[in-house]
Amino acid sequence: MSNLSVNHLLGIKNITTTDIKLILETAKNFKEVINRPIKKVPSLRDITVANLFFENSTRTRLSFELAQKRLSADVINFSASSSSVKKGETLIDTVNNILAMKVDMIVMRHSSAGAAEFLSRKVNAKIVNAGDGAHEHPTQALLDAFSMQEKLGDLKGRKIAIIGDILHSRVALSNIFCLQKLGAEVKVCGPTTLIPKYIEALGVKVESDLRKTLEWCDVANMLRIQLERQDIKFFPSIREYTMMYGLNKTMLDSLSKKIVIMHPGPINRGVEITSDVADSDQSIILDQVENGVAVRMAVMFLLAGRQ
Amino acid sequence: MNILIKQATVVNTASPYNGKVVDILIERGVITQIKKSITPEKGIKTIEAEGLYVSLGWLDMQVNFCDPGNEHKETLDNGLKTAAKGGFTGVCVMSGTNPPLHNKAQIEYVVNRAKDNLVNVFPIGTISHNREGKDLSEMYDMQLAGAVAFSDYKKAIQDAGLILRALQYSQNINSFIITHADDKTISHGGQMNESVVSTKLGLKGIPALAEELMIQRNLQILEYTSGKIHFPTISTKGSIDLIKKAKANGLNVTCGVAAHNLLLDETELESFDTNYKLNPPLRSKDDVNALKRALENGIIDVVVSDHNPQDIESKDLEFDLADSGIVALQTAFNCLVTAMPKITPEKIGECLAENPRAILGFENNMIKEGQDANLTLFTLTGKTTLSEKDIVSKSKNTPFIGKTLQGKVIGAINNDKIVLN
Repeated sequence: MSNLSVNHLLGIKNITTTDIKLILETAKNFKEVINRPIKKVPSLRDITVANLFFENSTRTRLSFELAQKRLSADVINFSASSSSVKKGETLIDTVNNILAMKVDMIVMRHSSAGAAEFLSRKVNAKIVNAGDGAHEHPTQALLDAFSMQEKLGDLKGRKIAIIGDILHSRVALSNIFCLQKLGAEVKVCGPTTLIPKYIEALGVKVESDLRKTLEWCDVANMLRIQLERQDIKFFPSIREYTMMYGLNKTMLDSLSKKIVIMHPGPINRGVEITSDVADSDQSIILDQVENGVAVRMAVMFLLAGRQ
Repeated sequence: MNILIKQATVVNTASPYNGKVVDILIERGVITQIKKSITPEKGIKTIEAEGLYVSLGWLDMQVNFCDPGNEHKETLDNGLKTAAKGGFTGVCVMSGTNPPLHNKAQIEYVVNRAKDNLVNVFPIGTISHNREGKDLSEMYDMQLAGAVAFSDYKKAIQDAGLILRALQYSQNINSFIITHADDKTISHGGQMNESVVSTKLGLKGIPALAEELMIQRNLQILEYTSGKIHFPTISTKGSIDLIKKAKANGLNVTCGVAAHNLLLDETELESFDTNYKLNPPLRSKDDVNALKRALENGIIDVVVSDHNPQDIESKDLEFDLADSGIVALQTAFNCLVTAMPKITPEKIGECLAENPRAILGFENNMIKEGQDANLTLFTLTGKTTLSEKDIVSKSKNTPFIGKTLQGKVIGAINNDKIVLN
């Protein structure tokens, strides 16, 4: 087994295709581990990891924490609601205080794009970006790719649609970079107000019609509408959004082929997808959650430089 | 103080000595002799340098000295020292202050504070009271106190009616309006130029449209009101086209560009370095090339430093939390020459010294005997490497630390004072 080309996982943009393949290959082994009766390995037992969540998260934080515990790392958690951030402390001071307690690795979610990169220049610890603003969410893209590969095999030439609020989505951007590096074709679909004007320059197709997009793709990754990041209204109402971009069972069944349905969670049931779609046999949403733990184990294991 | 400048090429289109290599004798602040060769008296301060040029003292039409209110970022005293180091003998001080320069008392504070300095200070009063973009400020009273023009600095005036009234009213006092161009409803929350680069970085973009729409609107209002408008720092190709057309149609419009917008483009932001977070933002390579061409062919009239100090607490932050700006007075000339290596000394004299005076309506002094010595000395072949300890400004927010740029400011002379590098 070789090493990653980077010291931190800041984004998919700055890692190589070989890195991605190595992470996904390593994740396969860890998936096997977490399905054993004894789900734990001692790989990171001398490593202390801090999970710093300056933005709300349940699933990503739990997934990271579980991954760390399965690797026998020591874990501390810090979230914004109980933090000193509200008392006016800067990010660097918060992190340095935590590092002074001898932490080796930091998993951070932050509302500012570039926050992970900023941190990596300032502190001496391995950084895993767990989402920075509308920039990247690399482990989500990796677990999405892992889940798609499980279902479809090699992704070369596969057609993947990302549907919804592309403008505010770090999941979309990381997915685009990751899928392209694995040879897949990507199309984004949503109201034009939520599609970045220059996204085609990244080599993705843009389509505003949901049905046409679904007919084209092998996989539809339905994104959540992120109202918390929209300080102005980009569409008239949730109701109208659902009318145009919500996926229901009738539409799914009327397609000429069986496509795979994904969602990074948390789902707004009845908004971007209806419950019967989310729970259908075409959905791999819960596989994504399971694979998330394995992929995050692989990332932290490799970053720690463990062979 | 008496000074002898040896073997300098004169750069001053109005001067009979333009283009000639001469010795210039300055006695007690006045040019007393210009000759092919002057024998130095004993003890006189002599300035010599290879490839030396002498132009009228440079005048920067947009600086922010943060004083009063933000003296932790810069003070007037310190800002003026920085200006002299950068070769500027005059600066238009903008209203990045708290309170803003919006009444007689504020203007008088700046004028009095900056007396007896090498660098002449020309305060710019605000257009609107408290820089709120609502009601006109007392322009006439401020003009009597020393304000040379009016601007709300980086706060672009969103209200079309206010710009209309400001343009009308400023004509009554033979003055003019300087206004930043940025339609906030379009640039809303933007962090950098909107392009594929901003898309890749997940940073909210500021479309060129936000600047161009505002310029177009203001030009149309200017056509209606008459008067004179100056856009201090344009940054897009579209803005150039609009101003070119307006000038051809005879409108009284002038514009400037920040020196760093000629040298740097948006790709610098790929590492999320907040030193490159600027307003107007660094634009595309196409825009940068268009700006350079527009300066060459005279559509852009002046080059400014757009000196905007930010302390480390406002700058060394997550990208969207950091403030915009760069301490630029000491590197503006070098940015210009590095961006445009083939620039002629005449063009430098025009865009840094002569055109700013013309726009501000100052009497055009020239380099000849009997005139006050208000001069900048520079070379194009020299190089300048900026180290952190060389920065005179209180703030250190510049991406040029440790970098070598083309050109060298040798010194500045004005008001019987001299600063040499």
